[in-house]
Amino acid sequence: MATVQVKRRELSFGERIYLPEVLRGLKVTTRQLFKNMFTKKDIATVQYPEVRKEYPDRFRGRHRLMKREDGSVRCVACMLCSTACPAKCIHIVAGDKGDQSVEKYPVSFEIDLLVCIYCGFCEEACPCDAIRMDSGRHPLPSFTRDRQRIRKIQLLEDGGPSIAVQGGKGT
Amino acid sequence: MPTLKIDGREVTVDPGTTILQAAEVLGIEVPTFCYHPGLSIAANCRMCLVDSNKSPKPVPACHAQVMDGMEVQTASERIKRTRKAVLEFILLNHPVDCPICDQAGECVLQDHYFKFSAQPSRLFHRKQHKSKAKVLGPDIILDAERCILCTRCVRFCDEVAKESQLDVVNRGEHSEISTFPGKQLDNPYAGNTVDICPVGALTSRDFRFKTRVWMLQTERGVCPECSRNCAIRVDTFENVVRRYKPAHNPKVNQYWMCDEGRGSYKNYLEGRMEGPTLVEHGRRLATSTQRAMDEVSRALSGGARNVAVVLTPWLTNEDAFVVGKLLAGPLAGASIYLGGRGPGTEDAVLRQADKNPNRRGVETILGALGLSAKPVSQFTARAVETLVVLGDQHTVGDTTMSELAAVPQRVVIGAFKNAWWDMATVFLPGRVHWEKDGTTTNFQGVVQRARRAVTAAPTAKSEGWYAMKIAQALGAALDFATPKDIFGALTREVGAFAGLTWEGLGDHGQRLGDGLVPGGVGNGDTQGMVAR
Amino acid sequence: MSFGEVLLWGLLKFAAIVLGFVMVVATLLTLLERKQSAYLQNRVGPNRAFLFGKKFPLSAFIGQILADAVKMLVKEDFDPPRANTWLHRLAPALPLFAALMVWMVIPFGPGPKPGTEGEHWFQIANLDVGILWVLAISSIGVYGATLGAWASNSAFSLLGGLRTAAQMISYEVTIGLNMVGLFMIFGSLKLNDIVWGQGELLWGWLPKWGIVVQPLGFVLFVAAAVAEIKRAPFDLPEDESVLAGGYSTEYSAMRFALFALGEFIGIVIMSALASVLFLGGWQIPWVATPLLADGSIDYGWLTVMQVGAMVIKTMFMVFLLQQIRWTFPRFRYDQLMRLGWVYMLPLSIANLAITALVMFLLR
Repeated sequence: MATVQVKRRELSFGERIYLPEVLRGLKVTTRQLFKNMFTKKDIATVQYPEVRKEYPDRFRGRHRLMKREDGSVRCVACMLCSTACPAKCIHIVAGDKGDQSVEKYPVSFEIDLLVCIYCGFCEEACPCDAIRMDSGRHPLPSFTRDRQRIRKIQLLEDGGPSIAVQGGKGT
Repeated sequence: MPTLKIDGREVTVDPGTTILQAAEVLGIEVPTFCYHPGLSIAANCRMCLVDSNKSPKPVPACHAQVMDGMEVQTASERIKRTRKAVLEFILLNHPVDCPICDQAGECVLQDHYFKFSAQPSRLFHRKQHKSKAKVLGPDIILDAERCILCTRCVRFCDEVAKESQLDVVNRGEHSEISTFPGKQLDNPYAGNTVDICPVGALTSRDFRFKTRVWMLQTERGVCPECSRNCAIRVDTFENVVRRYKPAHNPKVNQYWMCDEGRGSYKNYLEGRMEGPTLVEHGRRLATSTQRAMDEVSRALSGGARNVAVVLTPWLTNEDAFVVGKLLAGPLAGASIYLGGRGPGTEDAVLRQADKNPNRRGVETILGALGLSAKPVSQFTARAVETLVVLGDQHTVGDTTMSELAAVPQRVVIGAFKNAWWDMATVFLPGRVHWEKDGTTTNFQGVVQRARRAVTAAPTAKSEGWYAMKIAQALGAALDFATPKDIFGALTREVGAFAGLTWEGLGDHGQRLGDGLVPGGVGNGDTQGMVAR
Repeated sequence: MSFGEVLLWGLLKFAAIVLGFVMVVATLLTLLERKQSAYLQNRVGPNRAFLFGKKFPLSAFIGQILADAVKMLVKEDFDPPRANTWLHRLAPALPLFAALMVWMVIPFGPGPKPGTEGEHWFQIANLDVGILWVLAISSIGVYGATLGAWASNSAFSLLGGLRTAAQMISYEVTIGLNMVGLFMIFGSLKLNDIVWGQGELLWGWLPKWGIVVQPLGFVLFVAAAVAEIKRAPFDLPEDESVLAGGYSTEYSAMRFALFALGEFIGIVIMSALASVLFLGGWQIPWVATPLLADGSIDYGWLTVMQVGAMVIKTMFMVFLLQQIRWTFPRFRYDQLMRLGWVYMLPLSIANLAITALVMFLLR
């Protein structure tokens, strides 16, 4: 039995002729109308530019790339984020840094914000704490699509230092 | 004939067979690192240890030969513990830098770790550090920390490439792979060491950091760089070929391919010409395929006497057959020349001097259709009004070139911006080998299928398609829908191909004449894209 | 009066009513509707278009109206590809034309008592056909939506147009039948006469308003009126979740605004009609219209209050219609049709029959 039979409540005569229920509905909305005209108690609107809501801690905003202590980008271009990305919006070109301890780094790192669905899989997948979505910034409107493809340089603008080490220690 | 039991299942094999091979017959997987079917047995990784009733201690399955009455356990508790211990040993100093390791995704160590160990490291010391990103040769780079010292690469150089360039130096945990002093890993087959390296120790400088392997799409193809026709995997990402890897084909190339062929994919990535062009009133303009084809049909409809066709040994068997039908039918009487690349290096391992993939196939098919081709170097422009050049992989001398250019109407089916494109009055965009589905015949007569790995631009068509359309325009009934149809007609009409079937080619191909031997059809081996 | 004078006075009165009342109310409605809906949904509504800074919050109202007007005027005027451009451009004018013409017969204040001669100062034309004019003209309005829908060359529009036509036909019947009861009671088609009739008192204390003598008729009339002006819960023609925007999907800028304006004026018409027919029009309850000795009206302050009463009643009905629109969810299409034909039409006929029976017995 995959179907669940929901027993509907029998409508009373008063409900079936609509009119009393119509009046009841009008009573509710009219009460609310006058209440809101004179008090602000129930109004849920936030006057956005002047009043801003605190975002929850886990709000996923625009991405940012974290930096090492020496200021270089933490990303090692492993492409796990672009692999995990369900929208396929992360485009990384890896390069050889020639440095024995780091080796690989992103020559270019682009996120197409128009394609991004802000699911947070990229920061989940990142083994280096390099990409984060905790900037608290909204995706901003722009006049061209190209402006919505944010590059490494923009991603690094928000990027703070991270001293996380492998295994989840540090912050 | 010893009979033994592996995990309770009985199998009878030839004497001298190893336990590993016997297990393979039963389809039982025994994990290995250092074992490679194409190389000698070293038995140094200890991953393949199995229990047997003939020995108190676990024995390496890759090395131990079977005995009559043997009872082998490949998954007993002790073996499971042993494998865990072996993996812990191997991983002790392994950097576990999978995110930046090119091998990640096709790494045997990764696979075995998740399958047989999956335990965290218990090492509290700092790891042993060794050389990183050490350049061994023109295309090979070594990360000694990732190396598990299975010595596959060392054995490969000794046994297959026959140039001993690698060895293990130092002792204990300081051991690492190195070239001999003053030597480089630069033999013409060095790239195979990357393929057989089970971990990311040896990586290709060409492919390094380019694409993660799990993003690649793989299709089985044939290397066109010489008449050996090594079976390859064509790995693509976003419809662009990223690398070649050799595929296993016991009839042709075993497990290997040469570096020349391995790097050749780069020659076909740049400079593609994908639109038909037409010279009108002295100006060369882009046009539609339809208009260009109309122009070609018009030029050819005047009779075959003044037509010369330059064929190429780069045609697939199918294309060659359709072109042959055109030349034997509506264009009968046209003078036929065979172009192609000039000879190159040759050696005793794989490389052949003939740097064209399908000379034998094209010549066989032309012969069967009653046609004969002269070398293109004998071309004379006298009395030729229309020249049709198929393919643009031709090496010709300056005199021949000027002879060809002296023909008033020059139709070229090519793919690249080169001298052949420059000289065309009508240019029809063709396809390169990885955009075609078809078969080729190597110098030994092995017919192999090459599958389409890249989707061509909609305007780019194969030579066979153009030949078919021209034949139709000239009033011949030549109509095929798929390469499979053409191959069917080919096997019916060309004696040498008789008995071969499209399906029967499988992954390893069939030899010409195989189909005529009773029971010789099909080799039952259609698996094994990757052979380690 | 000569024909010229009649024409001049008619035009003057028309201008006064349309510009002084109808357009003002319709314009205000564009804002008030949003404000009203906002408040009853615990929102704030438009409050940003301050004309003179934030010190004068009410200036945001005017600013908003002006801003809307400017927006509508300067937005891109769009003709869909392969649309019938001529009809597509003509269509929005039709509903507006119809909506304005209906005002010809609405009395805003007292006219001469039935049976006496005199000037109709508060009514453009006291036609003999009276209410039939309303029904006739408002039917033209449906052409606008249907034509515009067809000319848009869009499936959404066409479906919206078809729904408009079907809905209008269904509910006009109910509206018409409910008016018939009033004609029978008041014995005239002239709206002025009907309002005069409503000035009498039943049993000496109860105003003989339409709502009193025809309570079921009033309910059915209001319900049908909501359907007639295509407002929720009967806004199937522009069912935005199903039909994008219904018949006006392909309209933009001022032509869309004309449709919207026609709709808003429609609300005011229906409210004015309801108040004239059922709420006593300009009659102030228990206050008799003062008459001179010869039977003509003694115009004075009371007359002004009577006009005020008409306006207040109309505005109340506007408020009620808006409130209904924002309170109830949309019907399903089959429900709409069933309600119209299976419930409301028989009820109207029954209402009519009972009215006739009662009148026969009381004769």
